[in-house]
Amino acid sequence: MRAAIVVLISIFVLMLGWLFLPQSVEKNASTNVADMLGGVVDDGFERAVQPRPFKFPQDHGAHPEFRSEWWYFTGNLETAEKRRFGFQLVFFRTALKPGDAEGKSLWRSHQSWMAHFALTDAQAGRFHAFERFGRGAIGLAGAQPEPFKVWLDEWSVIEQDGKWVLHVAEADLSLTLSLTSLRQPVLQGEAGLSQKSAAAGNASYYYSIPRLAAEGQVVIGGKQHAINGMAWLDREWGTSALGEDQAGWDWFSLQLDDGSDLMYYQLRRKDGNPDFHSAGSLVLPGGEVIRLGPEDVRLQPLAYWNSPKGGRYPVRWQLHIPSQKLELEVIPVLENQELDLLVRYWEGAMDVSGTRTGRAVRGRGYLELTGYSED
Amino acid sequence: MRSLSSLFANSSSLLWRASLRHLGRHPWQMALSILGIALGVAVVVAVDLANESARRAFDHSMQTVTGQATHQIVAGPMGLDEQLYVILRRSGRLPVSAPVVEGYLAYGKQTLRLLGVDPFAESRFRNLLSHVPVKTEEGLLKRLLTQPGAVVMSRERMEAFGLSVGQPFELWHSGQRRQAVLAGYFEPPAEQRAVLRDLLLADISTAQELLGQVGRLSRIDLILSDVDAENLDAINSLLPAGSRLIPAASRGLAMQEMTRAFSVNLTAMSLLALVVGLFLIYNTLSFSVLQRRELMGQLRVLGATRADLFRLVLGEGLLIGSLGTLLGLLLGILLAQELVQLVTQTINDLYFVLTVRELSLTPMGIIKGLLLGVGGSLLAVLVPASEAALSPPRSVQNRSGVEQGARKLLQPFAWSGIALLIAAAVLLQLSDSLLFGFIALFVLILGFSLLTPMWVSLICRYSAPLFGRLFGSPGRMAVGGVQASLSRTGVAIAALSIAVATTVGVGVMVGSFRVSVQQWLESSLQADIFISPDAPSGTGYEAALTPAVLQIIERLPEVAGIRQSRPVEIQSGDEIVHLTALRLAAESYAGMQFLEGTPDTVWPLFDREQAVIISEPYAYHHGLHAGDTLELETNQGRQPFKIAGVFRDYETEQGVVKMRMPLYQYYWGDKSVYSTWLYLQPGVDVDAVLAKLHRLVGDQQALRIHASKTLREASIKTFDRTFAITHVLRLLVIGVAFVGILSALMALQLEKARELAVLRAMGFTPRQVWGLVTAQTGFMGLISGLLALPLGLVLAAVLIFVVNRRAFGWSMDVVVPGMVLLDAVLLALIAALLAGLYPAWRMSQTAPAQALREE
Repeated sequence: MRAAIVVLISIFVLMLGWLFLPQSVEKNASTNVADMLGGVVDDGFERAVQPRPFKFPQDHGAHPEFRSEWWYFTGNLETAEKRRFGFQLVFFRTALKPGDAEGKSLWRSHQSWMAHFALTDAQAGRFHAFERFGRGAIGLAGAQPEPFKVWLDEWSVIEQDGKWVLHVAEADLSLTLSLTSLRQPVLQGEAGLSQKSAAAGNASYYYSIPRLAAEGQVVIGGKQHAINGMAWLDREWGTSALGEDQAGWDWFSLQLDDGSDLMYYQLRRKDGNPDFHSAGSLVLPGGEVIRLGPEDVRLQPLAYWNSPKGGRYPVRWQLHIPSQKLELEVIPVLENQELDLLVRYWEGAMDVSGTRTGRAVRGRGYLELTGYSED
Repeated sequence: MRSLSSLFANSSSLLWRASLRHLGRHPWQMALSILGIALGVAVVVAVDLANESARRAFDHSMQTVTGQATHQIVAGPMGLDEQLYVILRRSGRLPVSAPVVEGYLAYGKQTLRLLGVDPFAESRFRNLLSHVPVKTEEGLLKRLLTQPGAVVMSRERMEAFGLSVGQPFELWHSGQRRQAVLAGYFEPPAEQRAVLRDLLLADISTAQELLGQVGRLSRIDLILSDVDAENLDAINSLLPAGSRLIPAASRGLAMQEMTRAFSVNLTAMSLLALVVGLFLIYNTLSFSVLQRRELMGQLRVLGATRADLFRLVLGEGLLIGSLGTLLGLLLGILLAQELVQLVTQTINDLYFVLTVRELSLTPMGIIKGLLLGVGGSLLAVLVPASEAALSPPRSVQNRSGVEQGARKLLQPFAWSGIALLIAAAVLLQLSDSLLFGFIALFVLILGFSLLTPMWVSLICRYSAPLFGRLFGSPGRMAVGGVQASLSRTGVAIAALSIAVATTVGVGVMVGSFRVSVQQWLESSLQADIFISPDAPSGTGYEAALTPAVLQIIERLPEVAGIRQSRPVEIQSGDEIVHLTALRLAAESYAGMQFLEGTPDTVWPLFDREQAVIISEPYAYHHGLHAGDTLELETNQGRQPFKIAGVFRDYETEQGVVKMRMPLYQYYWGDKSVYSTWLYLQPGVDVDAVLAKLHRLVGDQQALRIHASKTLREASIKTFDRTFAITHVLRLLVIGVAFVGILSALMALQLEKARELAVLRAMGFTPRQVWGLVTAQTGFMGLISGLLALPLGLVLAAVLIFVVNRRAFGWSMDVVVPGMVLLDAVLLALIAALLAGLYPAWRMSQTAPAQALREE
């Protein structure tokens, strides 16, 4: 499910002119989330109302008939010397208007794109985050299924010889990874229909590829390091999502060393309570998918990190799924993994340790926290 | 010790009281000097402010469209292929970059500058939408990005055009109608208002469509870090031939260079006005010192030192100078409001569309005015102050004593004058710079003014008998009076003659210029009909005739020959080259006057070789001659072009390079045609063809279709409008001189009050006294006028052969109209007579007894 808030805020801010107005972003971002989500949506967009058949590779491409969509790559990596890195590369697509743009200029497009790149450098204790914007026109940004390609400027994931090659560079950092899918796409929610709030259509189509073997290089501090690890892809598209009384969420994607993968998002209501529509899934080593609801999962914050920019993020958690005899502690690799970008949120690499049916399990993953920044 | 200092304090306050009482008793003198200085300072300040405002307006508008960019990628007249931007973005080599499409559109008569940007790439470059009121910005960006024709304009223009947000409206580009819709409006803070007033902002897609530049970018703005900037060559290697990476400031600098000569000209004219004003203050104070010689002597007896008296007069000069300067600043600011319109108009006619017309008051402008006014006044009173300091104690020196002293100075003055004239001549030889030209001009004027008393004395000596024969003893007395008060009259005559000489110099220069331009227009506009798109002036390079219109023209049976041209600006190195591609008709070869090369040698090269012809200003500024080679930046890299000839041209003073159209098309890939000249078959009625053209073209494209005759007239009208500003300045110079002569005459006549009273007592009627005074002022005016002629002609020569040549690079045929000379003498005469009216009336009204008693 992920950063719908991020996207929706960005839609809103887009409309308000963030591009020219960096100074007014905070003002805009502080606008009530519920107002945005309850805001008028053009009738011309399709909505995620009922389950649909998924087809691959077609569904890896864009679905411009829906208002928003994202390709969300996260992963934990390390060098041969066990130097630890985490990365996030996400492409957001937002349609400003339904339908195709009219006009002679190739620059015409209704599609706007935003991308975030974050790199967690555990050894140096540093977190780097960058953003890019672009229009889905003239080859500046876009997504296509075959051969798979999603890109904004030179930030891209491009299919080459059957593998997905992720490349991102900014300032003196760069990351190049070759990704190999180790799992079939997992359809989240009800056969891929992920209901976010009560109203019909307040939902998205959502699938994940929870295990992508990654290997490549990272360039940091003027040095290139060979690197490998495991990545996770989340794909989601829809037209509207949250209900009026929802404030944000805590989202977990965890890869455990017993071969199972856990995704769970807890939607938070404005009164601070978890929302009924919180959901997730546990993928067992054999590939069996177990749907999870709020009644299945107990979440308990263990520690907080106060952002110097404002906001108190619960960065360390106890996660308990009694039905699966799964008890985990989710610990941040770094406390400060806040993306201080146009839209401010926390998303970072995590370590996992705990027990499953009494046996010790360890793992790695990513945690996203939205709706905590106070501006 | 104590008593001494208290004595000093007492004596200085005593001195000041005496001084103030004296000044208070002569309010007219005071007022006139203050006014003189005020006018001089006002002109300087006004010109400075107007120049500065134009410069700032230019800077601001450059700043607005350049934003934070450090560098730009630019190309030839066709701009850049938009794919270059995509390739650069995708390569990751230039992350901080933003594409720009810009051009001019017209709303009715109003020219608007359209800036098309990619909002997604803008955040680090410009911040234009921050000027959109918050309450109206919701959905604005969405409208800009998704609604074809959506633009943002200033609230001021929106209201002036009677538009409202969401309303569709029409814009014109290159004579073609474009549909736009108002997406929002700017409401910038006061200091930004002028800059944004005539700016339209749109998404890059809309800009491409409105400006007919689909597929092209005007430029790519870049922000390069210091590291990137060190690797300019590496970045350059990514660029295709014909596009180049340049510092963002360089284009602005190149454009600013074009207007520099114009501002320097104006400044020089304004300084001339100040010089006349300073003459005035010198005149006034040295007179007031003379008036008080007796008083000064008594003060010396009372214990005032020479230094005290020196300070006293200096203080008076400071007082008058300061008051005049303050008044001048205020006047100057008022005057600048008017002047800035003229300056902007001139720049728009000659250089480029500058849509900002606000006056910007800078502290520097004010400080400059203060320094010039007060500092100049202090300099001007140094002589009278020294004179006061030299007053011997108790000496009741009479007027004739003073005049004897002054006469002793005649020769040294004359010699210094001659020395200065020689210095001016040497200066002109020393350097080719325009600044030296102007300095020489001032030295020349100064030298001339030092020579004036000598001339006046000589003229008086030899003309007194003549006047005596003509008018009897009053005639002789009038001339004798001028001679007798040479220290006073010499200065007044010098001031007036310099002012009149200025008008002669400028008049002859403008007259010669106008005649040359007229001849040039006659020969170069020999075709019968001129056709171009109806695009705002200064935007010709992006406007073009549509292929359909070109076809209509070519198929007209009445047409015997067609000459086509495409003027463009090429950034080549650090310079903007005005290049015109020409397709000549057989009839048009004769229209070009060559200053270097002959038609026989030039045309074969021009028509067949890789050759160009260059205009005289271009040749002058670049030190180029026929036979040399000129390198230009083309889409295929730098290319050498042989210079086939140099032709006479007054179109642009930065000069123009012309080449045959196929050569231009080959190197720049631009097939458009801006203007077309038609030569008609013999016997065809021009008006009938004009009507037919209008009918055939219909509303396909709004065109300017003119008979050459009307175009010639329009060109001359533009010329006259351009020089309107010089007329205004001439009037101001005369105004200052008028006040100068008035004050000198007042002083003179007041000084002669006793003499005149004696005449009255001897039986002169008031009418006779009036006649005497008038004859005297008339005589002074006449001398001024006559002396102004040689100086005026020399000034004209310097303006034509030095200033114009150095500033603009063009030569002209010198034409000295007799009328200008006659006008000058009459002007001086009338100015003097008018200025003498009041003093004459006053003198004639004085009761002799009272005047004698006063004395």
